[in-house]
Amino acid sequence: MKPRIAAIGICAALLLSLSGWLPAAETAILLKNGQIITVSGETITGGDILVQGTKIVKVGKGLPAPAGAEVIDLGGRWIMPGSIDSHSHIAVEGEVNEMGALLTPEVDCKDVINPQDINIFYALTGGVTSVHTMHGSANPIGGRGISLKLRWGKSAEELIFVEAPLTSKWALGENPKRSNMTGAGPARYPRTRMGVEESIRDEFEKAKDYMRTWAEYEKKAKAARESKGKNPPPLPPKKDFRLEGIADILSGRLWVRCHAYQSEEMLSIMRLCREYGVKLVCFEHGLEGYRITNELVQYGVGVSTFADFWGYKWEAYNTMPQAAALCAKRGVLVAISSDDSERMRHLFNDAAKTVRFGGVTEDEALRMLTINPAKIMGVDRWVGTIEPGKDADLAVFNRHPLDPFTVCEMTMVDGTVYFDRAKYREERKKTEEEEKKKEPEKKDGGEV
Amino acid sequence: MPHRTRYRLFLFFLSLIFLVSLPLRSGQDLHHVWAVKDARIVTLAGPPIEKGILVIRDGLIEAVGAAIPIPKDAEVIDGAKLTVYPGLMDGLGQSLLKLPEEKMDMTRISSGDFTDKDRGITPGLAAFDHVNLGKAVFEKYHKLGFVAGHVMPDRGVFTGRSALFSFSDPDKNKALLLKDVCLGIGFSPSNFLVYPNSLMGVHAYLKQALTDAVYFDQASSRWLKEMKGLTRPEHSPNLEALAGYATAAKPVIFLCRNQHDVRRSLSLAAEYKLNYFIADLGGEAFEVIPELKMAKARVLCTVAFKAPGSSLPAQKGKAERERAEKEIYPKNPARLAEAAIPFAFSSLGTDDPKAFAEGIQKAIEAGLSKEQALEALTKTPATFLGLDRALGTIEAGKIANVVLVEGELLVKETKVRYVFADGNRFELKEAKPGEGEKPTVNVSGKWEMTIEGGMGMKLTVDFVQEEAALSGKMTTPFGVFDFTGGAVSGNNLSFEMNVSVGGQDIDLFFSATVEGERMRGSVVQGGAETSEFTAKRIPG
Repeated sequence: MKPRIAAIGICAALLLSLSGWLPAAETAILLKNGQIITVSGETITGGDILVQGTKIVKVGKGLPAPAGAEVIDLGGRWIMPGSIDSHSHIAVEGEVNEMGALLTPEVDCKDVINPQDINIFYALTGGVTSVHTMHGSANPIGGRGISLKLRWGKSAEELIFVEAPLTSKWALGENPKRSNMTGAGPARYPRTRMGVEESIRDEFEKAKDYMRTWAEYEKKAKAARESKGKNPPPLPPKKDFRLEGIADILSGRLWVRCHAYQSEEMLSIMRLCREYGVKLVCFEHGLEGYRITNELVQYGVGVSTFADFWGYKWEAYNTMPQAAALCAKRGVLVAISSDDSERMRHLFNDAAKTVRFGGVTEDEALRMLTINPAKIMGVDRWVGTIEPGKDADLAVFNRHPLDPFTVCEMTMVDGTVYFDRAKYREERKKTEEEEKKKEPEKKDGGEV
Repeated sequence: MPHRTRYRLFLFFLSLIFLVSLPLRSGQDLHHVWAVKDARIVTLAGPPIEKGILVIRDGLIEAVGAAIPIPKDAEVIDGAKLTVYPGLMDGLGQSLLKLPEEKMDMTRISSGDFTDKDRGITPGLAAFDHVNLGKAVFEKYHKLGFVAGHVMPDRGVFTGRSALFSFSDPDKNKALLLKDVCLGIGFSPSNFLVYPNSLMGVHAYLKQALTDAVYFDQASSRWLKEMKGLTRPEHSPNLEALAGYATAAKPVIFLCRNQHDVRRSLSLAAEYKLNYFIADLGGEAFEVIPELKMAKARVLCTVAFKAPGSSLPAQKGKAERERAEKEIYPKNPARLAEAAIPFAFSSLGTDDPKAFAEGIQKAIEAGLSKEQALEALTKTPATFLGLDRALGTIEAGKIANVVLVEGELLVKETKVRYVFADGNRFELKEAKPGEGEKPTVNVSGKWEMTIEGGMGMKLTVDFVQEEAALSGKMTTPFGVFDFTGGAVSGNNLSFEMNVSVGGQDIDLFFSATVEGERMRGSVVQGGAETSEFTAKRIPG
């Protein structure tokens, strides 16, 4: 029996490889002669990266091209790990806020991914290879977020960064208080920062009660099963997906990403999370984070922030262009993120500002685009640096990525080139010429 | 003879209104037996019969064949120049619905006192209760070959229940084929600050509601069975309305605005084990063919061929969008047919029967065969709705919903001559030369109308004309009656009015020619009784 199975296996493998079913294992790409910003270590001048299938397998100098490998000559251009935008709302179809209820952990961005959102392509043109896309900040506890790999052209399911932990979006301050909402509709509780926090605590208690109810039911159901028909099986409690969402937060299954500006409320929510054992990974924006770096480091909370964007409402005044750098220098995990489909196309410019204004090293600035957001998203084992074993998510630039005049030339996700500026330009030119050719034809047709 | 009694009652009320004495015509309209002879009959139950006979008796097809006897009591229609087809069916539409308009109560809205209707949660809303059937409406469908339609409210999240009608009788009780067939599930969230008001909220809500409905069903039936030791579940009209659909006893229809909605619906249906149809409003089912095939999904295919806003061509700008709407989207039905995905045509997204027929024509031009199109308008919708034993083909024993066409059906200029709906004959005349012209008159304002014959009678009519559209109200000694949906073309006008007197619904069709401040025309009831009238404008 065994040899027969093996024979079948070999035949199947042969057939599969012949029919091109195993391209991932077959295709190798050698990226030659680049300035490799590894982020994990030294920048290698005149270095090569060997990509096999979806993974980086070797990084070094003078790597030989395996037989059949595609060779891309970088011609001394810069190559870095693809940028990771840990605060994004792209590829979400419909409203990013479920405003109809105060706490909505049951809603999920995963349900409404639009893989044809053209912003995915635009992100690739700026060297972004992964995003964490999420619910807005209208609710103290909003919906679930999802990490995506920008495999442009693939289905919603195929975009999902499957290894990434699921997240829960929270929000403090003016937005959940709805001080920025005018027009129709009643005032919604809460109207104060105290109320925002209380609304979360309140729901935690409800969820604990819900979990207890289910535990009791399981107990009774077990007893009924063991009684062998003597006790009728109990009626299960009613399912409540909202409270189950909270339960997922309390169990740590969902990583919490909390929108906040002010240091006081950040401190306060950290205390609440500690009390309930919630996995709070990051403050979104966190513009006043530089004031509480010790506490952030102690709790292990990062900030996903802007380089120099503030002053758009009163809670966003107390910051400065040095804020991200100050946090980084004190050991806080800092990610530069976009929150915007335009800004995401030049995140490298924003990272450069932390060097210019805050005096961080270039390496540190580049970490804010790569490995730091990867850690915040829980995907640093797969992306964020150029190292053997990591996903081949890479971006090629014509100048150093922090150079103000730099342009992203090529972006690769999982070893597949999804954006190539030269090719894109060529294709555009071709379509434009075709259009021009078509126009006179149309005119002729119209006259006949 | 119940039929005769009802008929007399009709006449009685008519004369009451118009005070005219109506002569009883020859027995022609009482006929219930017809035979079409020498016609080409496309039965769809087998190969077409080149020179066949079709016998219709009391609403049903009595016999069909090449050489069958013609019953003696039958009125014979010479079909030498005609082709007989099974009546076409609109797989899903909503243009026959007239939902009550509700005034927005801003005080209520701003106090946050939202209703389920504001939330788009109306699983109890029944198409049957709000359908607007009438002879004028039927005529629009009949002349294109449509003899039945599946109607469903399409707004909100749980949009309401569908109903299927034969276009045979303005009385919906007679025209009804099936009631509360399907429940609509839409992905259009509320515009108010009420849950759910986002697409992701809609998905979360749907999952909770479907779960609740199944739970409600189980908990209720368990309580009814055991009672002792069990707390009875709280009653909920919405969950009660949902239960039959959530437990897959009845089908739901997912109203999908784009290909993503289709995928999401398939996974919802799989997760909650629903009996379902995909209404492809976005016309993007061709993008989801492998998934549809795998799920063995049944599709209701629209023919508006508009690229949804979420699509790439729409995001790339006007030129790309127009190109896609010309070159890609019209191929959707052909591609479904090619992949052997069962689909029926739906009029959703097209404004009127004419636009629906034009859309089907576009689909044929884009590669769908006429046979496939015909199937998607007859057999497939009949099978989808569980009526394949009664409709969809021309076979003895089935409902006599058939179309008699000069030439072919599903061509650009369809010449439908007769329609049988539930065995009732409707004759279609060729379009009058004046029809379809731009209005050359504006009749807006008050008119004094005099119905001639009998004792005569004076009425006041308030017309409201907006371009070719005509509406208004008529003041009579028996009450004030509104009418809408009238038309003005050239200097001709026509409108239909439904009059309820003593529990009877009577449809009256007015048509007139306008000359300056005067008009002259006729009023018809039920296609038979005619009175003349004149009217003059009341100055001021």
